Amino acid sequence: MLQRSSQRDARGAIVAALLTILGIALLPAGSYVVYALVWLAVATAGAASGYAPFTLARRGLIALPFTLAALPLIFIRGDELIWSGALGSAQLSISGAGLRIFLTAAVKSWISVQVGTILVRRYPIESIVGSLRALKLPDAIATGAGLTVRYVELLRGEASRMLRARSARSASPVGETRERIGGTIPWRAKVTGNLAGALFLRAYARAGRVEEAATARGAAGSLSLGSLIQPDARLLLKVLLALLAFTAITAAGALLPRV
Amino acid sequence: MRPLLHIPDGFLAPQVALGLWVATAVVIGIALRRIGQRGPAAASQTILMGLSGAFIFAAQMFNFPVAAGTSGHLLGGVLAGFLLGPWAGSVVMATVIGIQALLFQDGGLLALGANIFNMGVIGTLGGTLVARGIAATLGNARRATLIGVGVAAWLSVMAAAGFTTLQLGLSGTTDISIGLPAMLGTHALIGLGEALISVSAISFIAVSAPEIFAKSVPAAPTSPRRRIAAGLLIAGTTVGLASLFASTSPDGLEKVATDLGFINTSQAAPFELFASYSVPGFSGAAGTALAGVIGALVVLLLIVFLNRLASARKSS
Repeated sequence: MLQRSSQRDARGAIVAALLTILGIALLPAGSYVVYALVWLAVATAGAASGYAPFTLARRGLIALPFTLAALPLIFIRGDELIWSGALGSAQLSISGAGLRIFLTAAVKSWISVQVGTILVRRYPIESIVGSLRALKLPDAIATGAGLTVRYVELLRGEASRMLRARSARSASPVGETRERIGGTIPWRAKVTGNLAGALFLRAYARAGRVEEAATARGAAGSLSLGSLIQPDARLLLKVLLALLAFTAITAAGALLPRV
Repeated sequence: MRPLLHIPDGFLAPQVALGLWVATAVVIGIALRRIGQRGPAAASQTILMGLSGAFIFAAQMFNFPVAAGTSGHLLGGVLAGFLLGPWAGSVVMATVIGIQALLFQDGGLLALGANIFNMGVIGTLGGTLVARGIAATLGNARRATLIGVGVAAWLSVMAAAGFTTLQLGLSGTTDISIGLPAMLGTHALIGLGEALISVSAISFIAVSAPEIFAKSVPAAPTSPRRRIAAGLLIAGTTVGLASLFASTSPDGLEKVATDLGFINTSQAAPFELFASYSVPGFSGAAGTALAGVIGALVVLLLIVFLNRLASARKSS
């Protein structure tokens, strides 16, 4: 019998992803050779999962806006100056140490995002939630996450319909095409808040119906949503391989040269 | 304008990330225990929490225009915390932040503990307690509740932004002296959007479903001591954060005196406790924030003293 995708055991993959991300986080700053090697390994794993390296690399850029937080370090650290001079009326200097910290954080986050992307590509979120439950995630969180995943599209559909109705009534955001803009900012905020309030009431009513249905089917206590049905027979092997990968990344970080 | 609160992996030092994982696990563990103590009601609470998680996801689609190219949208921590209770709200936000990290790579896996700590523990649990504290201090009426939710929603975004910057600073990936004012300045506006949407949502629920609203407001009366403690916490946090935005420019009189050239005729004060709003031994923003907190405490003590004096005179 074919195994349903929502029943697949993702425990090995979750452990592997977490250990890889931990290994990347533990790499010293400026280990660009190791970063390149780790990315090659991640891109290979991605290709094996059906992700083209370029697509995977582009997906990794999702964390790019956060690099703004580290950007000032390039200009304000006074050590290892690479360049100093005037840019218009402003005096500017570029620090090698600041640049290294910035690039390290940017590259590490870029690769880590790709690791997470491959995990979700290989396993649907229901499998991951079920596997996390099997990894002793508390029942309330596992059931809550299972319900969230199950009903998120339904409520997003409700929200989309509400947004369309709002657009027709002139409270749409500035810049969107074919939509009128009206009212003051507090009025628009009030309309948005009303939408959120109305959506919560729909979620509340739905929760009541889910509980009634569960009670009618004889459920008591846990709903056991997101349960893992068929455990992976090669789990131990996968965990051992993940540990090996973690050790290899850490050792490469310690042994290979840094800039 | 989107909040920069979901820290990706690679920005936090492993020891900071793991430390925050432990702190988050402890708080969420307490939250789960508190929810479990509700007995048979815990199962229906879990269902409502699951649907509320889906609600938070969907409600984050709602945005409203602030200015050209800028729109505010909901984060939902205080809203969830207020409607479900602080403990259940923090678990819901933890679930939402976890799914965001797994499904959308919005925030890292190793940094998940930090992200839940900032938005789920500080933003939701802390924010809801502040909202309830303000509401109780002002008398728990509907208007008091809405004021509490508004202030707490703004503070929750600011506190989450502040903690995010501090963690990045501890990890060496940002300079706190530059990052903190920049993050707080940006998130002050985002927090305003959060406060407006949260207040409107609660207001809508209070009118449309008063029974749900009534469940959200704690029935137990608050003791005067707890009210004072809540007031102190709120005043201290607000003053501490607001002090970071204190202007370093001279005030109106000093400016005129400087421009007209009679600033040098001024005489020094006979004593100086906190000259130029700074505390001896503390420099920069920390000194200003501490001076603000001390100032608020002095005002509180003065009010308590005058109140007691007035009571004593009345009774005599």
